[in-house]
Amino acid sequence: MSKAASMFRSKKLDLSGFVNTRLIRDHNKRNAFEQMEPERQALRYMIRNTTLPQRVRAQAQLQLSQMHVYTRPTQIKNRCVASGTARSVFRDFRLNRFQFRMQALAGELPGVKKASW
Amino acid sequence: MPQPRLLDLVKAQCRIFSLTFNPQRLRLGNKILRQRLRGPALAAWYPRKTVSFRDLQNTYKPLGLTTFDEAEDDREEAIQIAKLRGKGRPKKKRTAAESRSAKKKK
Repeated sequence: MSKAASMFRSKKLDLSGFVNTRLIRDHNKRNAFEQMEPERQALRYMIRNTTLPQRVRAQAQLQLSQMHVYTRPTQIKNRCVASGTARSVFRDFRLNRFQFRMQALAGELPGVKKASW
Repeated sequence: MPQPRLLDLVKAQCRIFSLTFNPQRLRLGNKILRQRLRGPALAAWYPRKTVSFRDLQNTYKPLGLTTFDEAEDDREEAIQIAKLRGKGRPKKKRTAAESRSAKKKK
C-alpha cells in the first residue's frame, strides 16, 4: 500500500465556502476515516476479543497499526468553517470565537444574543 | 432461587433482547460492535459544494441558451480598457527563439 496522502484527495474540490490547504487536508482525513471506519472497528473487535487465538489478535494489531495515518480518528481536528482556524472553535456553530462574535453581532446566527444585565 | 435456574433466566433474557450470553465474563470485545459509526457525522463537518452559477451556465450552454454573468462581464470590460491603455497581457511566445529575443531586449 502506498503511503501517499494524495490518494484520499477528491479529484474535484467538493467544498463550498472558505477553503484553504489545511481545511482541505482535514476534510480528506474525515473522508478517509469515514471510508475505513468499519474495517478499523472490525480490527479493534478482533484485538479486544480474548477468545480469538493470540496469533490472530497480534496480526489484527499489526494491521491496524499499519493502516494509513489519515484513517485515524485522532487526526481529525475541528476547524472553523468560515476562516479555517483550528483554535477555539465552537462545536455547535462550527465557528471560531472571532467569527462567532462577528456573525452573532451581525445577526447571522439565529437565537444568539449579546448578554447584558 | 437455584443457580442453574438463574442462568437459564439470564440466557432467555439475552436471547430475547439479542444480547451476548457470557456467564464467564470473558472479554469478547462486544462493546466495539455496539458502538455507533462516527464517520458520517464527522465527514459532514464542512459545507459541501452546492449548485453554482457556473454549473447552471454549463448545463444551459449546450441547449443554446445564453446567460448573463455580471462579474464575468465586468472582468472582460476591465481587460478591454487595460488593452486600450496598452496594459494588456504580453503576447504568448510560441517558439524558443521568440522567447529568447524577448529576454534580450530587456
